[in-house]
Amino acid sequence: MKKAILIILTVLLSCQATKTALFDQYSYQKTTELKVETVNLIDKSTTAFADNKVAVEKLHLDIEKLIEYEKNKPNNELTFAMWQILNDKEKNLLAGFFKRWEQKGKMSAIFVSEAKKQIIEGMDLLIQFEIKKDQTSKDNLLNFINLNK
Amino acid sequence: MDIEALLNEIKNQSLAILGENYNGIEADLKKDISKFLQKSKEKLERWALLFADNSIDKDEFEWLIKSQQDLMVLQSLQTAGLSKIKLNKIKNSIISATVKAIILSL
Repeated sequence: MKKAILIILTVLLSCQATKTALFDQYSYQKTTELKVETVNLIDKSTTAFADNKVAVEKLHLDIEKLIEYEKNKPNNELTFAMWQILNDKEKNLLAGFFKRWEQKGKMSAIFVSEAKKQIIEGMDLLIQFEIKKDQTSKDNLLNFINLNK
Repeated sequence: MDIEALLNEIKNQSLAILGENYNGIEADLKKDISKFLQKSKEKLERWALLFADNSIDKDEFEWLIKSQQDLMVLQSLQTAGLSKIKLNKIKNSIISATVKAIILSL
């Protein structure tokens, strides 16, 4: 009985000590989907923005929904901060790119090719960070299993 | 164009932004920033060449340089997050080892 209490205590203490949000399948899946949609739209930015306005607006809305989800997740300040940078129209990554496309009408192929690499790198940083969170959750589980042997 | 001066400017501005919020993990940040700057140098040189042969205009060149600065902040935030995860793993290991020792002594 004492052992059981101590094991439960250990797991609880481990959870409390984890100050970073654990891996979230939904966040990972949505971020990956949004990356694919973003790249798909960037590839169209050598054509007229007006022809793609609806798709860009839908992408913005989907991003806003995910950011709201990330904002309210406990201990998730860093992921939220990363999304804010990507989604800031005054900065020069995801939202800034689409703002520029809207202002210019269409963009040059060479610029699009270079800007796309930058945006992909930014979104990959976010996806890789989410994947790295997985290790913590796995470790807690392994600790629990080891203590029950 | 002085690429080194540009890199230093990107580094200093990013460190200034991050320094206020992420003290205590500077060693990790500085290491990552050095790696990142090495990668940045290659990009800046490529963009400078594209600008020099008029493949991109001044406005596009500046946009790309600023995007690299924003990427650096993202990289630094990710490093800060990974440092936190590493710290928590150490804390968890200590708690687990301590409790395991108590269990074995019962």
